Amino acid sequence: MLEKTKNIARQILEEKKAGGILGLMKGQWNIIQPHIFEAPAELDALVLEPKWLLAKLAMGILRSSPENYKLAVICRGCDERALIELIKRNQIEKESLLTIGIACSQEQAALCLCDRPYPTKLDAGEKVKGVDPFQDERVREFLIGNDKQRMERWADMLKRCIKCYGCRNSCPICICEPCKLEDDVWVKRGVVPAEAITFHLIRAFHLSDTCVACGACQEACPVNIPLLYLQFSMRKTIQEYYGYEAGLDLEIKSPVLSGVFEGPDTDREYPAWVNSMRERDGI
Amino acid sequence: MGSKFVKTICPYCGTGCGLIIKIIDGVAVATYPDREHPVSRGSLCIKGWSAHEFINHPDRLTSPLLRKGDTFQEIPWDEAIPMAALKLRETAARYGGDAIGGLSSAKCTNEENYLFQKLIRMAFKTNNVDHCARLCHAPTTVAMVQALGSGAMTNSISDLAGAECIIAIGSNTAESHPIIMGGIYKATDRGATLIVVDPRETAVTRNAKIHLRINPGTDIPLLCGMMRHIIDEGLHNEEFIRDRMEGFKDLNTFLQSWPVKRAADECGIDEELIRNVATIYAKAKESAVIYCMGITQHACGTANVLAICDLAMLCGHVGTEHSGIYPLRGQNNVQGACDMGALPNVYPGYQSVSDSAIQDKFQKAWGTELSDKPGLTVTEIIGLAGKDIRAAYIMAENPALSDPDTNHVLESLKAFDFLIVQDIFLTETAKFAHLIFPSSCFAEKSGTYTNTERRFQLLRKAVDPPGNAKEDFAILCLLGNALGLNFSYIHPAEVMEEIASLAPAYGGIRFDRLELEGLQWPCPDSEHPGTRYLHKDRFTRGKGLFVIPEYTPPRELPDDKYPYYLSTGRMFAHYHTGTMTRRSPFLNREVEKAYAEINPENAAHLNVKDGEKIKLTTRRGSIITTARITKRVAKDCIFAPFHFAEARANMLTNPVLDPHSKIPEFKVCAADVRKETEDG
Repeated sequence: MLEKTKNIARQILEEKKAGGILGLMKGQWNIIQPHIFEAPAELDALVLEPKWLLAKLAMGILRSSPENYKLAVICRGCDERALIELIKRNQIEKESLLTIGIACSQEQAALCLCDRPYPTKLDAGEKVKGVDPFQDERVREFLIGNDKQRMERWADMLKRCIKCYGCRNSCPICICEPCKLEDDVWVKRGVVPAEAITFHLIRAFHLSDTCVACGACQEACPVNIPLLYLQFSMRKTIQEYYGYEAGLDLEIKSPVLSGVFEGPDTDREYPAWVNSMRERDGI
Repeated sequence: MGSKFVKTICPYCGTGCGLIIKIIDGVAVATYPDREHPVSRGSLCIKGWSAHEFINHPDRLTSPLLRKGDTFQEIPWDEAIPMAALKLRETAARYGGDAIGGLSSAKCTNEENYLFQKLIRMAFKTNNVDHCARLCHAPTTVAMVQALGSGAMTNSISDLAGAECIIAIGSNTAESHPIIMGGIYKATDRGATLIVVDPRETAVTRNAKIHLRINPGTDIPLLCGMMRHIIDEGLHNEEFIRDRMEGFKDLNTFLQSWPVKRAADECGIDEELIRNVATIYAKAKESAVIYCMGITQHACGTANVLAICDLAMLCGHVGTEHSGIYPLRGQNNVQGACDMGALPNVYPGYQSVSDSAIQDKFQKAWGTELSDKPGLTVTEIIGLAGKDIRAAYIMAENPALSDPDTNHVLESLKAFDFLIVQDIFLTETAKFAHLIFPSSCFAEKSGTYTNTERRFQLLRKAVDPPGNAKEDFAILCLLGNALGLNFSYIHPAEVMEEIASLAPAYGGIRFDRLELEGLQWPCPDSEHPGTRYLHKDRFTRGKGLFVIPEYTPPRELPDDKYPYYLSTGRMFAHYHTGTMTRRSPFLNREVEKAYAEINPENAAHLNVKDGEKIKLTTRRGSIITTARITKRVAKDCIFAPFHFAEARANMLTNPVLDPHSKIPEFKVCAADVRKETEDG
């Protein structure tokens, strides 16, 4: 898989299809870190492990690049989904991005509780079977019981929060400017833990239709709060209700934007302004 | 296209997390966590995430500055360095070398600290070199060396995960060492019991199984009560005491004076709870004790640490993988600054300046005569300004905010005949300097830092210093050469080789061995893999020693005129004197102004509402700050973070010193609180 990835990357650079390849480099002293490969000779140092999300880095690089710059990103399934969401949300220009899709190993999928451990555009590696997070014991622990019991379990976890903002900072889709979490209206500044309901649930709901279950939030959390588990239920709900999954397709709109028209009929009366949107969107 | 990423180490606390700095066209623009780092494993706290923010701040010093009356004038380096050398030499010639004082820095690298102490010791034949460890873990080095033979944290951060019981005393780990808090949760997630001792309610106490909210400064009664119960119940580790310890009989006799009842009365905790906690700690297979400033910053700081050592050794909870004593070091390189001999009584590697064999070794290596008289400490150097100490060289320290009794400190800073300050910003201390050297921050230099678990880690240069600022390493070499010392080092790696040749514990440390994981000392030779935990089969000093922890209550207790307990400390969004964090926009938005915490009952009595101005007064001075009304502080207790230059908590603190380690009693003094009105 590594050789194949290198070959594809080399070809992209040689044919000047992109100015750089964003991937992981094993450099001096075997140190692994993200790197923009700009010359084919550099690619000898390319590695694919560990799992290291690059979508947000890619967005930052493209933002500070000249207009016609193109970047190729070596991406796993979750990274590809994140990049697709960023394109849909006008954060990355579709034309400026190339992807080299790689598959995750079965172990990685199990570690991430990932139900789709491969990109839609797979260039190297073999697809492995996805994992159903709802079969996982640790996840179930947070989902079983009545509302009160679950609330207590979550409150117990969320009160660990040290307000590092790592969940937001590392999330490839957390891109609002300004961020509601910094707003003194919703979340009181200057105190830890961050208020559970406002800080964590605002964040979770903001991402309900965009979360690609990459797990970056949970991996960045210094105090081991299982933040990804919050998103599993939300993703499942949206999948079941609307048959929608974030990051799979550039064209399909989020049900939060389109759901009132395209979702299952709920016999609900919509206010008048909905009809005006209907007309505007030509539905 | 100029985006690149450079791995380096966080400049804030002693945890030593891995950062990746993103650079665009030579400018640091973002910080990311390093997934591969052995300590932080892809996490950072709020300060770590913001570490790049102050680097490009317009306030950065970019040229040497010379005082002209009340202002400063830019001068070139080739004037600044000879002038510094001349002034220091003149002072030494006139008053003797002991009239020079040097404050080295826990923010600078090991190599820089080594060069700093070498410069002071070689050029002026004095041991007047110290740094801010005096204000944080001086009692640790004194007490742990006495009891165990080594003043460093016994185990590694990752070892915490395997402990069955963790006691955290006087440590707000969640705010001051957030990534280590994650290590504690790894243990509690596996079923470990977390017990927290703190007069305040903190993010740590709220996540603990048991919170002992003791009266301020009553740690020794608590620990003695626990030990007494452990011995009474036969829960002590007799085999460990027999084989590995000295002094049990004396300790046991001393503990007769601490019945659990007396302990309970002193610290205001239920007797049964003390027994319960002692039993959990003693019975657990492996137990760890974490402690921090709440233990050390007392006039009985050394005795406090001794009591912790006694408790751990009594139960045999030292020298195994998941037990141990964890003094959490405050600064990114405070461990290293101590290791490198930026202390008045020891050369690098804790080798006594008064030991003639060691003196010989260093005289030979450095080719010069050296003094065998221990030098002065931070507070003494500042306190004797204009008297015994005529000139001082302060590298990246800010005593104007960090030392107790600020009014007195400010008077002293004015009193030096000549003061050189080397820093990245015009700090409150630098404003008093005659000559200022602009230096470089963590992202602008190469070298090593040593974290709280004795891990040497490589710092990698990410960007150039601004303007004409230079790396501290380069400045020290220039000044050393100007003083005739032949500091002809090209790269910090050469300095590390010299350190390795002189300090046996670091004998195997070389830059090219540090790679990703770093190396934990002791690491005596080039094949040695480093040491994860100390005192495995034998203590560094041979046998462990039980030392009697004499209890002295805080020197200044509340009275009619000053009826409140005042305690100072840190909070999560800022760091120490705020030189860097208050210039980081993200951190400054999180907390933009000074505050003090006050209990709702007291606030109601004073008719103070949340966010209103209050005036805090002690025998040393007053500050006006904002009230934060919260039950985090007990009734009659006030907590003030010391990060804020506009309301300096250290105006209020008591400069009384612990006689053994000379640490000031930052944690307790008596204060009065008034509502601040328009007319004062």
